[in-house]
Amino acid sequence: MIVAERKPLPEIIESIAGVKKLLVVGCNTCVAVCLAGGEREVALLSSALRIAANKDGRELDILECCIERQCEQEYNREVAAEVADVEVVLSMACGVGVQTMAQQFPNAIIYPALNTTFMGQPDELGSWSERCLGCGNCVLAQFGGICPITRCAKNLLNGPCGGSADGRCEVDPEHLECAWQLIYDRLKAIGQLDRLMEITPAKDWSPSRHGGPRQIVREDVQA
Amino acid sequence: MKSGSRLEQILESGQFAVTAELGPPQGSDRAVVDKKLGLLDSVCDAINITDNQTAIVRMSSVAASAQVCQAGQEPVMQMTCRDRNRLAIQADIFGAVALGIRNLLCLSGDHQVFGNDAAAKNVYDLDSIHLLQMVTRMRDEGMTAAGTEIEGRVPLFVGAAANPFGDPFDFRPYRLGKKVAAGADFIQTQCIFDLPRFREYMKRVVDLGLHEKSHIMAGVMPLRSAGAARYINKGVPGISVPRGIIKRMSGAGKGKAARLEGRTICAEMIQEIQEIEGVHGVHIMAVEWEIAVKSIVRMAGLLPRPEVAPLDLAPDPEPAN
Amino acid sequence: MQARKRVVMGCARSAGVAMQNLRATGWSLPDDVEWVEMPCASAIAELHMMRAFESGAENVLVLSCHHGACRSLEGDERLARRVTAVQALLTEIGIAPSALVHQRMAPNMASDLRTWIASLGAPQPCLAHEQDAGEA
Repeated sequence: MIVAERKPLPEIIESIAGVKKLLVVGCNTCVAVCLAGGEREVALLSSALRIAANKDGRELDILECCIERQCEQEYNREVAAEVADVEVVLSMACGVGVQTMAQQFPNAIIYPALNTTFMGQPDELGSWSERCLGCGNCVLAQFGGICPITRCAKNLLNGPCGGSADGRCEVDPEHLECAWQLIYDRLKAIGQLDRLMEITPAKDWSPSRHGGPRQIVREDVQA
Repeated sequence: MKSGSRLEQILESGQFAVTAELGPPQGSDRAVVDKKLGLLDSVCDAINITDNQTAIVRMSSVAASAQVCQAGQEPVMQMTCRDRNRLAIQADIFGAVALGIRNLLCLSGDHQVFGNDAAAKNVYDLDSIHLLQMVTRMRDEGMTAAGTEIEGRVPLFVGAAANPFGDPFDFRPYRLGKKVAAGADFIQTQCIFDLPRFREYMKRVVDLGLHEKSHIMAGVMPLRSAGAARYINKGVPGISVPRGIIKRMSGAGKGKAARLEGRTICAEMIQEIQEIEGVHGVHIMAVEWEIAVKSIVRMAGLLPRPEVAPLDLAPDPEPAN
Repeated sequence: MQARKRVVMGCARSAGVAMQNLRATGWSLPDDVEWVEMPCASAIAELHMMRAFESGAENVLVLSCHHGACRSLEGDERLARRVTAVQALLTEIGIAPSALVHQRMAPNMASDLRTWIASLGAPQPCLAHEQDAGEA
């Protein structure tokens, strides 16, 4: 899922400086699951913004709502009236949702309240880690289901480098496991260690974002 | 001969090779390079020129290596994958060869988080093994990574680094095997303090027959003080300094006496390393202490350095077989 | 009507009982304090605490049972983490995190409760004489 976190409050408050009527709109999909932009977070942020406004003696009227999935125009239509009724829309969706809203309501001012970070998984309650960079050519079969592109700090395909110690990555030993230690252990466990004896050739980066912004078209399902 | 370089000639002739290291200045001051070259003159067979080492910006290794050639000494140009994509790497290699550089060390490169500008975007288009494959293809087939023909030749003696002490420990000799399979003509290891562990590593390397396909040079680093010994032991991942060495450094006192002990220990280590099967040379990393290299090499009994045929810098040197 | 400037939220099983005992002695809640009773401290959500500040409170006291004594097992721990999160939000807004206080208590700690309410929002001891001067 897409993982994001709320921007620092001072940054959000500064972005809405001078605004008197605001819509805070959340999203019930990825950002709700990572506790960054769902209904509860919308209520909390709105409360914080009101407290800040009261403290500074500023006038601020906040409308709150939450959309099922902000990256789909069909759902966003539900809040068209509210969007038209405010000066600024503060979207608590991921970067995709913010852009969909901006595209759908071109006369509105839509600002992001979150910093969208990565595609990842929940490790345990309250902790999420990056797992996929969207390189466009998945090679997970070669590496025991562990992605060296995403999880190796140098995206080595023939790792590990000399900085792997005690299963940790030297870039951040406290938080990062060495992906290649994980790959080695996993391939050993499933009896596929011979995969590591072959040289994995250089990556063709053209299917990734390096080749340019991407689009997928499925003619078989188009109208 | 793949390049005809001095380093290649010495290693191929079965003599024990000596290389040292030179870090270019954090700027354009060529006098810094000249000064260090003066200290390393006739003391080693080739000098490694680092490439934005630890992700700190320095004069490029192509430029500094060219300066080494101009001074009549021989560089081993280091190239990392962190700052350049395959296009820039190939371009730099063409330029390097045109400027007389004949040795190349292929590295993945330290992540920029270790440097002084963590805001920079990194590249890592290739890893060090891809770099080895690409360069040997340029040299042996006259082809670029894109499959186009190269105008001129790329006679390079190509090397890679190895860390005998990294994890997973069991896998390290096999990873070295991959580097050799990818085309590494020579290998320089990370600095060694734990000789018994290194011997164990070399035994496995010899078992795999890698010493017959590539020239392995052991890395050593002279210690300046007991503090340095303790810092390296604790602060550098994967490197441990045996208690015996720390004790010797502590016992030597401070300043000049400590530095002499550090150089002596290094020289003794070189002599022991010469006895290990499969080790064909030593790479001395006297970081910002280039002046120490001469006395270390002398104490290790490796001076004077052997004479070899001068480098053929003709436009079309012998193609590699 | 003047907005209440201080809010006290507490668990019915500990703070609620203590509050009843205090009232039985003839003590009454100061005029500027709003008392909110919850079935368990773990039911005190971040939003409840934020709403208290939003409604004009300058100081908020939340009360749970002692660690290990919570009938919901981890109620006090959960509350403690939420308090930390709300204090972080307050800090970002520019409000001192000490505006929100969390105390743990047993039902028989009525006198502690009275003291905590009395000192809630009061200036630091070394500035007490300035406070008196102001009120004079």
